[in-house]
Amino acid sequence: MTDTASRLPPPASRTPSPPSRDRTGAQVMCEALVRENVEVMFGIPGGAIMPFYHAMWEYRDCLRHVLCRHEQGAGHAAEGYARSTGKPGVCIATSGPGATNLVTPIANAWMDSTPLVAITGQVSSAVLGKDAFQETDITGITLPITKHNYRVTRADDLPSVFHEAFHIARTGRPGPVLIDVTKDTQQSRVVPNWNVTLNTPGFQRQSGIDRGAVQQAARLLTNASKPLILAGQGVIISGAACELRTFAERTGIPVITTLQGIGAFAEDHPLSIGMPGMHGWVHVNRAIQECDVLLSIGARFDDRVTGKASTFAPKARVIHVDIDPSEIGKNVKVAVAIIGDARAALLALLEETPARDAALWLGDIREAQATHQHRQPYLRRPDTTELMPHDVYAALNAALNERGGYRVITDVGQHQMWAAQLIEWRRPRTHITSGGAGTMGFAVPAALGAAIAHPDETIWAIVGDGGFQMTNQELATIRQEGITNVKVAIVNNGYLGMVRQWQQLFEGRRYSGTPLSGPSFASLADAYGLRGFTIDRIEDTTEAIRAAWDHDGSAVLDFRVEREANVFPLVPPGNSIGEMITREEAHA
Amino acid sequence: MRHTLIALMEDRPAALNRVLGLLRGRALGVHSIASGESETPGVRRMTVLVDTNDVQQTIKQLNRLIEVLEVTDVTNAEYVVRETALVKIHAPEPRREEIRTVAEGFGAKIVGSSAQTVVFEMTDTPDRLGEMIERAKVFGACETMRSGSLAMALGATPSPTEVPAREEISRPWWQADGAC
Repeated sequence: MTDTASRLPPPASRTPSPPSRDRTGAQVMCEALVRENVEVMFGIPGGAIMPFYHAMWEYRDCLRHVLCRHEQGAGHAAEGYARSTGKPGVCIATSGPGATNLVTPIANAWMDSTPLVAITGQVSSAVLGKDAFQETDITGITLPITKHNYRVTRADDLPSVFHEAFHIARTGRPGPVLIDVTKDTQQSRVVPNWNVTLNTPGFQRQSGIDRGAVQQAARLLTNASKPLILAGQGVIISGAACELRTFAERTGIPVITTLQGIGAFAEDHPLSIGMPGMHGWVHVNRAIQECDVLLSIGARFDDRVTGKASTFAPKARVIHVDIDPSEIGKNVKVAVAIIGDARAALLALLEETPARDAALWLGDIREAQATHQHRQPYLRRPDTTELMPHDVYAALNAALNERGGYRVITDVGQHQMWAAQLIEWRRPRTHITSGGAGTMGFAVPAALGAAIAHPDETIWAIVGDGGFQMTNQELATIRQEGITNVKVAIVNNGYLGMVRQWQQLFEGRRYSGTPLSGPSFASLADAYGLRGFTIDRIEDTTEAIRAAWDHDGSAVLDFRVEREANVFPLVPPGNSIGEMITREEAHA
Repeated sequence: MRHTLIALMEDRPAALNRVLGLLRGRALGVHSIASGESETPGVRRMTVLVDTNDVQQTIKQLNRLIEVLEVTDVTNAEYVVRETALVKIHAPEPRREEIRTVAEGFGAKIVGSSAQTVVFEMTDTPDRLGEMIERAKVFGACETMRSGSLAMALGATPSPTEVPAREEISRPWWQADGAC
């Protein structure tokens, strides 16, 4: 190393420093992160956060900092880390534009209940409110998209604020918390008091699971002739996939997984029937419209699941299990509410619900599935020699399920829906996507975060050419950090495809603002020092995926697919989920 | 429909801002809001008059805020409501005695005056207060300042509740991802 390195103080260890020592606020921030078991942070330095970066150097052996190329990338990377591990992700930005660039990932984490702690520098307290250089009111800006946020102006407050922030971010329904620290707070000296106790009487007030509600739910489920389970991300967050499987097997109730619930229940299980909603399967949506009891666990009845909410599951009595009381009755009418952790609720349901089966009902659903799949072209690739998205997904699905040891991050758009539909998902936290907010540009940086969390796995980012071009500069971060396990599969159709599809189906093919060009993505990968592939023939897909997977380095695969392939089935916006379009001609 | 909510919340920075921001973000109309210290140090009590079609959902959303300790909808309960207004009217010396007599006749009292003006304080239900202000206007140019409604339920006082300990969940089947 250079002389500079030898003159610097020795790195701090994960052992907490003696409590009586006088520290800077910035050192206290670092130590607070170590105490919260943070291993990695994603960020970009700047004026107002420089004291924190100065202190971070001493902690470089226990707090890894990943320099991203844009704060949005840093935020999504922290989300990818959080979604793939269940632990809070940490991102850092300076004041002003640095902080505002974090707004999109914070909003994304808010919508998808992702534990995220965002740390921002703020101008010194002496100039707060005076429109100082790079000053923005980031706590004001993020008020509606955080579980809570803090502006810290006294270094004495740092230990309790950091402890509370991490507690709030990961407890109950997880979500983002922002800590804004003024520069003078980072610089001031303090003897930190680590003897902090949580004092948040207004947070997490619900106690245990209500047995009465569980018994009522068990009675409804026992007497139902057409019961269904709708499993959402809450099952994954609470680590309840095993309990869900046990419960489903004990009761024989067919299981639907929402987009964010994918992986909560293995799709090769005989009771799995697939995904509901706007791009869900026809037989699944019909089953919802037919069912008499719907047990929803950790799902929030998003409009992409319900379609027109007033016509959703019209015959069903809904049992809603959710840790967030505000979700009960928000979008659909609920017969029985069980408020609490999905896993605790499932354990209670397992105790109260006698074994049963629903073979007849499952048989009906399977019959409908066979009929529809026979009639619907969307499951088969259209008869063409061009490379279809279907070919890419077939090859990916084969490789993923043959090799294992993978996680897949998808972006937003057509490629995201195809991934949800055409890959057979089996494990929790292997399918990570921007669901609620629908943030294009999520996949590449989130894959980078997941890759750091899981260096022994292969992280696939499936992304459209639109979303890829929003955050592809993070390929430089991947290269700089020596990350070798990210493989980016671009489903490149030269359009903002989902918008183009709606324009085709609902707006008379007026392709306004959707045709999209780009560079040679393989050459771009090459320029970043990664391996690039261009694939435009069906017969090359499997081999390219194999080569990318085996390549000892991150790679970008540019799949040049048929430009106007569409995602089917489709519930037109505002319609009931019972009314689906299954091919172009059906909607003239 | 307009609901009268009484909320207890921790006195933390931006707490009022969060309440207002939440109601605005959920597209609800806030008619009035009044907030001040409660009998418990560090806890504020506020009255919010809000237009909402689903008051239960509104209460649950408010409860998601870290600072909010308790929200009660007193709209259909037995409660009292009062609002205070300060009303400044043009009152030159020759007319002052006449104005005082009339104003005190409908329950206002003079709390301050200058050479040309007097300031009345009036406290009553918001509706009656509106009527009183209308009557005061006959004396001439008028400036009003209203406090917003203060409500209080009759009967038991809601207070910061004890926080029950969270039930720890044993994880016998736990694996890395919770998968089997």
